[in-house]
Amino acid sequence: MGILLGGLYAVIALGLSLVFGVVREINIAHGDLVILGSYFGYVAMTAIGIDPILSLIGGIPLLFGLGFIIQKYLLNRAFRISLDATLIIAFGISIILQNTYQLIWTPFPQGLTTSYALESFTFGPVRFPLTYLLNFVVALLVMFFLREFLKRTYLGRAIRAAAQDRKAAHLMGIDTDQVYAYTFAIAAAFAAIAGIFLGLTFPFTPISGMAYLIIALGVVVLGGLGSILGTFIGGIAFGLAQTLGGYFLGVAAQMLVAYIMVLVVLAVIPRGIFGR
Amino acid sequence: MKTAIPRLRGGLTPLVAVLVVLALFPIIGVPRVWLLYLFLFFIYLAMANMWNLLAGYSGLISLCPAAFIGLAGYTMTIMTWLGLPYYVGIIPGAVVAALFAGLISIPVFRMKGIYFAIGTLVVPEILRFVFLLWKPVGGPMDGLGRGYTVQGVADVPMAEIYWLALAVGVASVFLMRAILRSKLGTGLAAIRDNDDTAASSGINVFNLKLYSFVIAAFLTGIAGAVFYIYQGFIEPMSAFSIRWLITIMLATVIGGEATEEGPIAGTIIVVVLYFLLARYANISLIIQGVILVGIMLLAPQGIMGSIRKTRAYRSLSRLATRL
Repeated sequence: MGILLGGLYAVIALGLSLVFGVVREINIAHGDLVILGSYFGYVAMTAIGIDPILSLIGGIPLLFGLGFIIQKYLLNRAFRISLDATLIIAFGISIILQNTYQLIWTPFPQGLTTSYALESFTFGPVRFPLTYLLNFVVALLVMFFLREFLKRTYLGRAIRAAAQDRKAAHLMGIDTDQVYAYTFAIAAAFAAIAGIFLGLTFPFTPISGMAYLIIALGVVVLGGLGSILGTFIGGIAFGLAQTLGGYFLGVAAQMLVAYIMVLVVLAVIPRGIFGR
Repeated sequence: MKTAIPRLRGGLTPLVAVLVVLALFPIIGVPRVWLLYLFLFFIYLAMANMWNLLAGYSGLISLCPAAFIGLAGYTMTIMTWLGLPYYVGIIPGAVVAALFAGLISIPVFRMKGIYFAIGTLVVPEILRFVFLLWKPVGGPMDGLGRGYTVQGVADVPMAEIYWLALAVGVASVFLMRAILRSKLGTGLAAIRDNDDTAASSGINVFNLKLYSFVIAAFLTGIAGAVFYIYQGFIEPMSAFSIRWLITIMLATVIGGEATEEGPIAGTIIVVVLYFLLARYANISLIIQGVILVGIMLLAPQGIMGSIRKTRAYRSLSRLATRL
C-alpha cells in the first residue's frame, strides 16, 4: 500500500524535481500549485458536473499558462537579483495562492469524492483502495511521458541542455529564459495532474500544499537532483515510510515520520541516491 | 563595504529622549490600542533584527523562527504551570530555544544555501506535530488543539508587558550594533561575501554561523515568550505557524536586508499594515504576499537600501558626519 501511495508522491514531486534540476530553484509554491489542481477538479465536479480526471483537459492548460507566467515575469527576473530572491518570491507566491484559496473555497477540507474513489480491490490478503492503484499507474505514465519528451522533442533537448550548462546552451542559441518558462509551465501542468489524484486520494485544505511540498522536497532530494527514476524511487520510499510509520506509531504520527525522514535525508545524503 | 557607509554622529541624546518618551507612554495614559501596536512593533522588531542577522549578514536563509518562538513560549507556559511567576520563564524559554538551535544545527548546518532553507522549513512543522501529540502538563486546557493558558498573567497590567517588549526590542537593536562592530560581525560579512575565501583566511565558518544562529534563536525566543505572556494562551497550530515567518520576513525585506536600520523601518510598516488591514482579515495575507513579491522584484534592497542610493541621503549623511 505504501508503494502504491509512493506513486502519488512521485507525481507530486516530479514537477518540483524538474524545476529544481533544470532551473536550479526550489519552487516553494509547488505544493500550492498542486492544491490549485485539486480545487480545479473540485470546481469542475461540483459546478459543471464533469469527472475530475476528465477535467484535466482544462486543468493542464490552465496551470501550464499560470506556470509560464510565474517563471517568465516573476522568477526569471528574480534570478538576476539573487538566489535568495527567487526563494523569497516563491514564498510570496505561496502565501498569495494559499490565502486566495481560503478566500474562495473556505478553510474547510474538501475532497474529490467520485463513485470510483471509494472502490477497492483485494490483492492477496489485503484490500487496496482503487485510487492508490490509479496513482501508481498514473505515476508510471507521467514519468514515461516526461522521459520521452525530454529525449525526443526539440524543447526537451533544449531543456536538458539548459540544465547541464546554462551558458553553453545560451551560446548555442537557446533562449534559456524561454526554456525556463516552459520548464516551469510543464512542472505546473504536472502539478495539475498531481492535484487531481491527490484530491481523489486524500481530503485537502487551502494550506495542505505545505505538507506535500515538504514531502516532495524529501522525495526529490532522496532521489537525486533531476533524476526521474530517482524521484520515483524516492516517492516509493516516502510512501512506505509514511504507511509503516502510521501502522506502527498511529495515524497521527505518520506525517511526523515523513518529516523527520526529510530532515535526515537532507543531512545525510543531500545529493541523493541517483544524484549527479 | 561596511566602512564606506558614513555613520551619524549625533550623539545618544535624541535616542535616549525617544526611549524615555516611549517608556513613559503607559504612565501618561496613552490609549491601550497604541500600547498594543507598539508592543507588537517591539516584538516583531526583535525577531526581524535576528532574522536580518541570519539572512542579511550570515547568509543563512532561516525559515524556522517559529520553532524558537513556539519552544520558548511553551517553556515559559509550562513553567507557569509549575507555579513559577511568568517573568521567571522568559530566560529558560530562550535558553531552550538556543539549545534547540544548537541541536538542529547538527543536521541543518550540513546543508548549504537553498538546502539549508528547506531543512529549516521542516523544523517548525515537526515541532508542531510533536506538540500536538505530546502533553507536557495536564490540566483543564489539555485536549482539543493541545492548548494551554499561561497561568497567572490574567491580571498583569499591560504596562509591565509593554516595558518588557520595549526592553527586548531596544536590546535587539543594540545587540545588532554590538555584533556588527565585533569580530563576529566582520567575520560574518566575510563569510556572506565568499565563504571559501573567508575559510582560507582563517575564519572558522562553521563556528561563526553557529554563534549567530544560536544568538538569533535566543533573542527570538525571548521575544516569543514575551508575546505569549501578552497572549495568555498557547497552542501548537499558531505557535509553530508559518505566519511568524511571513511577518518577520516581510518586515526585513521591506526595510532592507543587510541594513541595520532596515528591520526598524520595515517593522513600522508591517505594524501599520496590520492596523490598516485589521478590518480585512481575509485579504490581509494576500496583500502581504503581493507586497513581498513586489518589493523583492522592484527594490530588492528594501526601503533603507533604496534610500541609501539616493543622492539626497548621501549628501545629508556627509553633512551629518562632518558636523
